[in-house]
Amino acid sequence: MATRGDRRDNDPGIEREKGLNRREFVKTGVAAGLGSGALLGADEVQARVSETGAEQSAWDYAVDIVIAGGGCAGLTAAIRARDLGASVLVVDQNFDLGGRMLHSAARLSLGGGDPVQQRDMRGESDREGFVTVAPIEDPEEVDDDIELLFTDITDWSVVDPKAQSPYRYNERELARAWAENCPATRQFLIDNYVRFSRISGTHGGGGLSRARLATCFLMLGDTTDIKAGTITAEDAGVAALERTSAFSPVQMNNATRSVGPNAVANGVALSRPLEFSAREKGVEFMLHRRFDEIVREEAVSGRVLGITARYSPRHHPETGELLQSFWRNGNIDEQRDTVRIRARQAVILASGGHAGNPEVRSMFYPALREPAFPTSGQALLGPGGQDASALIAGLRVGANLAGMQQNISYSTTFHISTRLGTRDAYTSMMPGHPTFGFRGSAGLNVGNAGFEEFIAVNQVGKRFFNEVRLPARPGTNGYPGDRGAPGRGLAHTPLDWRNCRKEWVREMYSYDHGLDAALAMNEGSEPPDYYSGPLWAIFDQDAVERNGWELRFPYVSDNGYFFRADTVEDLAEQIYAGHEFQRVPLSHLAETVASWNGYVEAGADPDFEREAEAPMNSIGTPPFYALSIMVIWHDSYGGLRVNGRQQVVDMKGEVIPGLYAGGEAVGGFNKHGLGKGHVHGYIAGTHAVEEPST
Amino acid sequence: MLKLGVGAFGLAFIIAPAAVAQEGSEQGQQLYQQHCALCHKDSGAGDPPTFPALNADDQLGDLVRIVRSIKAGRRRMPPFPSLTAEEVSSLANYIRDAWANDFGGVATEDVTAVLRGLGDADPMASVWDGVFTEAQATRGQAVYDGACALCHGRRLNGAPDDPDLRSTPPLARARFLRVWEGRSLATLFEYTRATMPEDNPNSLTVQENVDVIAYMLSVGGMPAGADELQPDPRSLSRVAVGPRP
Repeated sequence: MATRGDRRDNDPGIEREKGLNRREFVKTGVAAGLGSGALLGADEVQARVSETGAEQSAWDYAVDIVIAGGGCAGLTAAIRARDLGASVLVVDQNFDLGGRMLHSAARLSLGGGDPVQQRDMRGESDREGFVTVAPIEDPEEVDDDIELLFTDITDWSVVDPKAQSPYRYNERELARAWAENCPATRQFLIDNYVRFSRISGTHGGGGLSRARLATCFLMLGDTTDIKAGTITAEDAGVAALERTSAFSPVQMNNATRSVGPNAVANGVALSRPLEFSAREKGVEFMLHRRFDEIVREEAVSGRVLGITARYSPRHHPETGELLQSFWRNGNIDEQRDTVRIRARQAVILASGGHAGNPEVRSMFYPALREPAFPTSGQALLGPGGQDASALIAGLRVGANLAGMQQNISYSTTFHISTRLGTRDAYTSMMPGHPTFGFRGSAGLNVGNAGFEEFIAVNQVGKRFFNEVRLPARPGTNGYPGDRGAPGRGLAHTPLDWRNCRKEWVREMYSYDHGLDAALAMNEGSEPPDYYSGPLWAIFDQDAVERNGWELRFPYVSDNGYFFRADTVEDLAEQIYAGHEFQRVPLSHLAETVASWNGYVEAGADPDFEREAEAPMNSIGTPPFYALSIMVIWHDSYGGLRVNGRQQVVDMKGEVIPGLYAGGEAVGGFNKHGLGKGHVHGYIAGTHAVEEPST
Repeated sequence: MLKLGVGAFGLAFIIAPAAVAQEGSEQGQQLYQQHCALCHKDSGAGDPPTFPALNADDQLGDLVRIVRSIKAGRRRMPPFPSLTAEEVSSLANYIRDAWANDFGGVATEDVTAVLRGLGDADPMASVWDGVFTEAQATRGQAVYDGACALCHGRRLNGAPDDPDLRSTPPLARARFLRVWEGRSLATLFEYTRATMPEDNPNSLTVQENVDVIAYMLSVGGMPAGADELQPDPRSLSRVAVGPRP
């Protein structure tokens, strides 16, 4: 297999393993044992489990509850179980806690009459008096209850702008449990130092009938003090335009309008308070440790007894030093390769989804096996982020999966990013956070409008779609009716067949197929993989000046995702020589640019009819530029099948005793992100401590 | 609360080039597309109650009302002082005959007569004439950072920093100028007041709104001048958006 990429292996700035071009997958997969798990035959699985069975007494650690993953589901479950009296150990593959919650915007859509909805309904402030702006939504817009929330998230009649029905196949038992636990989870978060803004709309599958979304905030102040609710401008990453901090990988947002003056908001104001509270309450953490296997009494029967987890150190890309978590109280320093951790009561799998594992992604959508396109936030999370570890380990002990088709129906699941010139195109980390070096560049975010300014080519240098339409992504279902149903806002009628009558479905079918074109076979794709290859935005110096694009560090750098040359021919050669996934020469690029310039002169683009969309500009003034265009796989919806207590269920529909899962590790519940994860964690933590101690 | 749900793409489609004009009403339809369709929509259905429907308005038989509304504004509708009597006639003819409307034609002389009653118009200015102050743009930035930046991006290029958010219309530079060319700042002012911030329209004061416009102009490279932009649709309607002279 003639794969490329060898030349950059010794670049310390880029962590390998999850780059996963095919050659590396085979190499690291077998050596590491993780990817290989999915590849083992039935006999090998049997042999391996028997061997574990024989060593059941050889545990390195023992606690009541072991949690794999310290993100939104894991941290919540940990605190909840600890509150209920259990000893808790969280294992996380990264050097710091929070997972993707830490680089999220903290759009936390819950509802069902939750305490923040009720607060806003009464027009009150929060208990500390930080919220000084009036409620954004009118009282009737936050007048919610559990029945309405449950109806919303199982509403078969709602279609999204891809004309699919995201809620129709949600597992009803899961949806019911989720709705019932939303109010308690909101209160739980408040009780653990999380502050919420005013409610405004919903987010990502939170239902169409009421406003349910609040973001998390802290107040700018002289010190960073979770108990007091303050953060310094430096820690919040708002002191300088091009700098983040070790505390906040992503710069915090101005929350003046939803909280009041000097409020800043994003996932930092959710993740750090929860982490602070967990450490304060005595939850223990083992970082740099990648969850590998579930240990069960027998291969596919009996109780779950614990897990094995492997040392996965992350080192600073420049200094080589072992990366350290921001806070360290409660950390267990353990550097042995593999340790076995006994869970006396239960194991909770909260290690995320599968979006970072191209081989497993093919289980859901074969086109996304292309390893040139990573998951979101991969620099922050490292090679172990979203690696399908829960799914792989679960399958090996007999777990069932659910919701395999649900990945397809949410607009951020996979789409084309408007941030060009960086591999890690679905985050906005700047220098200052220790993992920026893994990114190398922040990327140039040109927005949809920027796609009018260049041509987009595939791995052989040919255009493949109307560039202007390439980044289009359909909206998501949410209040007050983001195109999700004919009746918007309070006028939405749940369960009304008119929501999906034929005319409406046709109207909703606005999904652009640029993504399909981008992932299509082309002359450069070779059997057996037929990889479609990387994508490039090609433009000239005039485009830079027209748009004021800042093509300098930290936005772009010499990291294989940005190239500049005096001729188009030289540009093509540089890409081929310098990009890790460019497997073939861009042999058509010069001809493509020449044809395009002819189209510009003629005022018509016979290939993709660009002239109907926006002015066309020639590409003729050197230097010429190429910036990577990334397809992002962000969410994971399919995953382990669980019941309403977050217990993992096997292929016969029976509970696997002692095994729980939540967040993106589970399937069957199409609900985006944090709202799902926190409630799952809360439910799992609640029930895990009810398990007998063995 | 008012919810419009006009997303990025909604706006992009509203301002897309006009459809092929009907015979005989080409000028009227083009003017409608340029000046009216932003709010009243191609279909004339508007988005009541914010933007009234024109395809079901009994009062379109009243020519004086139409002319006065276009030339001098009406409630939240901005004035369009730059339109000539002939252009107002074309527009009135188009609106009275479009969709299912059947209110009959109007003569330019009749329009001229109404216009005479409205008095003389002040001269038009351009956004490039120094129509705001530096201090106003600085105030506008503070409002923008809190109310607009999350969706429209720190660089006003319609690219939110948060990757979970979809792109939005740019508020400065080439694309903004192309989309708004030929319209006045009064249209921008009233449209923005009625629709933004998307989650809470009408929540900014008129002064904050006009300060944000000053900031948008300054980021777009337009020069500051000695006087502030006033939050007054009449004066704003005399400032036209267009390319750098």
